[in-house]
Amino acid sequence: MATVPKFNDPRWTLRYPELGTGPLPVEPYISREYFERERERIFRKVWLNIGRVEQLANPGDYFVKALAVCKTSILVVRGKDGAIRAFHNMCSHRGNQLVWNDQGTCPAFTCKFHGWTYALDGSLKHITDEDNFFGVDKNALGMSPVAVATWEGFIFINVDPAPEQTLAEYLGADLQASIRGYPFADLSTHGISWYTDVHANWKVAHDAFAEIYHIPTLHRRIIGNVYASKSNPFANALEFKLYNRHGRVSLSANPERQPTPVEALAGKFGSAVLQQVNTDLAAMPPGVNPTGTPHWSFDGLALFPNCLIYVSNGTYLTHIFWPLAEDRCRWEIRSYAPPPPTLAGKFAQEYGKCSFRDTLLEDGSTLERTQSMLMSGVKKEIFLQDQELLLRHRHKVAEQYMRA
Amino acid sequence: MGNLITNGQLPPAFRALEPYLEWSLPTERQRSAKRQASTMVEITGFYEAMLPRLEEILALLAQYSPVAVPADVQRLSNLALTLAEIAPAVENFGQPSVVDGYDVSRLIALHE
Repeated sequence: MATVPKFNDPRWTLRYPELGTGPLPVEPYISREYFERERERIFRKVWLNIGRVEQLANPGDYFVKALAVCKTSILVVRGKDGAIRAFHNMCSHRGNQLVWNDQGTCPAFTCKFHGWTYALDGSLKHITDEDNFFGVDKNALGMSPVAVATWEGFIFINVDPAPEQTLAEYLGADLQASIRGYPFADLSTHGISWYTDVHANWKVAHDAFAEIYHIPTLHRRIIGNVYASKSNPFANALEFKLYNRHGRVSLSANPERQPTPVEALAGKFGSAVLQQVNTDLAAMPPGVNPTGTPHWSFDGLALFPNCLIYVSNGTYLTHIFWPLAEDRCRWEIRSYAPPPPTLAGKFAQEYGKCSFRDTLLEDGSTLERTQSMLMSGVKKEIFLQDQELLLRHRHKVAEQYMRA
Repeated sequence: MGNLITNGQLPPAFRALEPYLEWSLPTERQRSAKRQASTMVEITGFYEAMLPRLEEILALLAQYSPVAVPADVQRLSNLALTLAEIAPAVENFGQPSVVDGYDVSRLIALHE
C-alpha cells in the first residue's frame, strides 16, 4: 500500500490563528440586507472574472455579460488596435441596452432604439438627426467605460469607477507566481460549459466546491475513491496556502483506484475530467502540485469572491457563482481540454464529461436543500473542520470588505 | 429493430450491434434524454452488448479524426458516446438518473 503522510499536522487552520476555529454565522447565507451590502461592498468593489481572451480572438469580437449583482450589463470588445475594453452596455441617449445578443463580431455598435452608433473604442460616432438636438457634445457621450484587465488569459472587470487596486495588486504576486507557466492559453481553445440557476445563496454554492471533505460521502458512488485512499480515507488535502484574499489547495489522487470497466477503456485514450491516470507530471510548472507527489489530482485556486479554478494535468475547469438574490445564484461550470485527435479520444472525453456532469448533479441537490433549511432560521451557526479552511478564509475576507 | 432496414449501417465487424442503433444519437442532449427515458433493463441490455466489444470499437475509432468521418463509423462513434452517457447509470448509480440528483434538464449546456 502506498504511504501518504499526514499532511495536516499541525492543523492547517491553526497556522492562520487570525481565522480562529469557531463556527460561522448563518446570516450571510440568508439575509437580504447582508446580500445588499455584499452587492455594494464586495461585488461593486472587486475584480470579477467574466471571460477568456479566446472569446475575443479578433478586432470587433465582443461578448456581453449580464451582471445582475451589479445591476448592469457589461459589453467587452476587442478594438481595432487589439486592446480589450469593457463598457456598461448602455446607450447614452435615453439609456437603452445597446447590444442585445450574447456575443458576435461587428465594426461598430448601433442602438436598436434610435440608431446612435458607437465605435469599438466606445466613442459616440453618430447621432441620428443630430441637428434636432440642442447642443449635445458627442465627444462626451461615449459608452461608460468599465475597468478591465487580464491575467493568464482570464478577463476581469471592476465596476468601481476608480478601482482601489489594479488586477495584479488584487491577485497578488505570490498567487500569480504559484500558477505561472500553467498552459491556460493552450488548453482554452476547446471546452464544455454549463450553467444553471440554483435556489441557493452564491456562497452556499461556492462553499460546496471549495472543500473536498464532502467527496467521500456525497460522491461515494462515482468519485469517492478518486481522491480518498486507504491511507488517506477522508481525502485530506496535500497542502493549503492562503494569500491576502485568495487561497489554494492541492489534492491527492488515490494510487490504488480501480476504474470501472468503461472508465478503464476510456482511460487508454485520454483522461477523465480532473481524474488523471498515469500521466506525466514532469510537464507541470514548478508552482503546480507544490508537494511534488506522484499521486496528485489537481490544485484548486479560490479567487475571491466567486471564482474557483481547478488545474490538473492537461485539463482545467472553473466554477463561477453569480449572486442573483440572497437565496439564488447562477452557477457556471467550464471545463477545458485539448480537442481529441481521434474518435476514440472523443469517447474518452465524453465519458469524462458525463461522469463529471453526474457528479455536479449530486452537488446540485445539496445546494438547494442546504439553502432551504438555512432559511428556516432554526440554526444560527455552521461548523467547519480543518479541511474546510478555504470557506473560513473566504468568510474572513468577506467580513473585512463588509466592514470597510 | 422492428421494420428498420439496418443492414450495413455499422462497419462490417460491428453489424451484430445493429439492433441497438436506436442508441446511436448525435448530441449530448439526445443521449442524456435517451438514458433518462429508458428502463434499467434496457440500459443494462445496451451496456452488456457494448462492453465486450468496446476495446475493438475504440481500436477502430482511434483510426479516425473527428472530422470527415464515414457514415457507418460515425454511427458506431455515436453508439459508443451513448455508452459513455449510460455507463454511470450502470456502474455507479444502479438507476437511470443520478441518485438524489439535481434535475439534469436544469443544467443548460452551452457546448454542442
